[in-house]
Amino acid sequence: MSEDLDLSVAITANNLRKVYPGNPPVVALKSASLKIADNEFFTLLGPSGCGKTTLLRLIAGFEDITDGELILYGNNISNLPPEIRPVNTVFQHYSLFPHMSILENVAFGLRRLGTAKLQAEQIAQEMLELVHLGDYGSRMPNQLSGGQQQRVALARALAPQPKVLLLDEPLSALDLKLRQAMRSELKRLQRETGITFVFVTHDQEEALSMSDRIAVMSSGEIQQIGTPDEIYERPANRFVADFIGDANFYDAVVNTTSENNINYEIHGGQILQSPIIEGITVGDKVTLILRPEKIAFVDNKVKNTLLGKVSEIAYLGNTTDYVISLSDDLTMKVRAENHFDGEPIANIGESVNLAIDPKAMRVLSA
Amino acid sequence: MSNINTLDKDIKVPKHRDIRSLPGFSWFSLGFFIYLYLPLFILVIFSFNSSISATVWESFSVAWYFKAFANDDIQRAAKNSMIIAVFATLFATIFATMAALAIGRSKKIKYKSVFTGVIILPLMIPEIVTAVATLTFFSAIGLSLGLGNIIIAHTVFCIPFAYMPIRARLQGMDEGLEVAAQDLYANKSDTLRLITLPLLAPGIFSGAMLAFIISIDDFIITLMVAEAGANTLPIYIYGIVRKGITPEINAVSTILLIISIIFVTLSYWIGKKR
Repeated sequence: MSEDLDLSVAITANNLRKVYPGNPPVVALKSASLKIADNEFFTLLGPSGCGKTTLLRLIAGFEDITDGELILYGNNISNLPPEIRPVNTVFQHYSLFPHMSILENVAFGLRRLGTAKLQAEQIAQEMLELVHLGDYGSRMPNQLSGGQQQRVALARALAPQPKVLLLDEPLSALDLKLRQAMRSELKRLQRETGITFVFVTHDQEEALSMSDRIAVMSSGEIQQIGTPDEIYERPANRFVADFIGDANFYDAVVNTTSENNINYEIHGGQILQSPIIEGITVGDKVTLILRPEKIAFVDNKVKNTLLGKVSEIAYLGNTTDYVISLSDDLTMKVRAENHFDGEPIANIGESVNLAIDPKAMRVLSA
Repeated sequence: MSNINTLDKDIKVPKHRDIRSLPGFSWFSLGFFIYLYLPLFILVIFSFNSSISATVWESFSVAWYFKAFANDDIQRAAKNSMIIAVFATLFATIFATMAALAIGRSKKIKYKSVFTGVIILPLMIPEIVTAVATLTFFSAIGLSLGLGNIIIAHTVFCIPFAYMPIRARLQGMDEGLEVAAQDLYANKSDTLRLITLPLLAPGIFSGAMLAFIISIDDFIITLMVAEAGANTLPIYIYGIVRKGITPEINAVSTILLIISIIFVTLSYWIGKKR
């Protein structure tokens, strides 16, 4: 492995592996390699048990690395204990010290680093003001609400000015409104402090709305790394497409190719189209991925439409999901914005015509 | 839809039966509490009797308390009890705290439940067996430290009592706080000093209170191990009672009782503190 002295890279993980001993041993992280850029908001996204928290704990130093190496701004930190790593963590359940005041909590890291008491408390006070809790320094943690404790935890982790801030599902214990407010708060803090954030979540909306880049993880492996729109628009595999947002999946065979499009035949004989893709030829078996909001209801004068019958309707407020039966055992989920009066576009049992722009089609070779 | 209907039929709500609805329950419990506390109540009452009789009430007086406090033998025995209890508590609590931390926090120690069992086992051994064993052991090695002998013996049987509240407190403590401290640049001894011990303190105090009261109240082991002149309060009381019960003994016993109640209550309240 080449030594990384490029300071635009905050964290380099080379084949990181974590196995918990036991009978049988548990492989929490199979082999993760990634580079996180300086000043980046990087998110580890995946369902529970996918290894995202393990990866975070390896970076923090709470777990021993089974194999591989971890480089922080050019320094190999693979074997350093957590108290030496210039990395701080915001914990899921905040983990504020209950016997210390808010100010003492925030000043704790600085004091351990040897900062004089007065100066540490001054910086702690500034940090509390940064999270809008300037007046709360003398209170005890149990006198604060969950949202306030969360912000104290942030201030405490930011106060020692770590090179990297790790956030372990920090918003999951908050209610919806607070969670949304904290998202922009986190974004703002990251911009203002210029610290690299590594954020762990299972909430795709959180990941998409805050991250510069996302690593989607599943069963101990990184499935895809990319910007939010890359992850959503060009999922690398079926897992990513399925985990992020909703998607229709169809096994298909390449039927014909024309000058502009490839035609795929799906089960039941209907034809779906995509633009020309290099290396795909007639007879290939592929998986087609189609996001439900990229399908339009059209009237029957439009050519090349799919025909189907509405079989289910789910009203979601701003949008409505329609499940359209294309044939006996083939359905397509279509998401449409609701009309001004909220009336459904089509009713159950009604025949509809669906139009799909070939450019909306994602094709994975099966 | 049909599922819901079948479910409805299958659910049988068990009729809740409150134990208080059993016939005679309240009388039974009243009798039980009388049986428990009446003798203690009488002992306390007669410590305030002005007459020397321990059975016939004359009038209210605190004279026996003054007499007890003025009694040299009682003073000496009380002082011995205090010294023994303080040192035994100190040693037992330190030992129990270290044991609880080692068992509760070390990742290297295997068979933690076995260690806990070994520490708690003295609770289950009949006290007379421990007493005889300790006496035999002390005389075999020729140990003769006066009160020191008793302190050593008391330390041993106080450890499980001190250990249990500390262990319980540690188990209820969020290990995440210690991880958070390490994340914030605290080394192992800082973490212990600034996070673990302050948070464990209620458990430690609670354990110490229990150990203290167990030491103050102990009779059998002390009787065996005590050398001449190293009388404790319970042994003094036993010696006097054989010559007949006086209200002076009632007064001393009442004071012991009050000390016990105070310490057990303190132990409970502090142990409950978050």
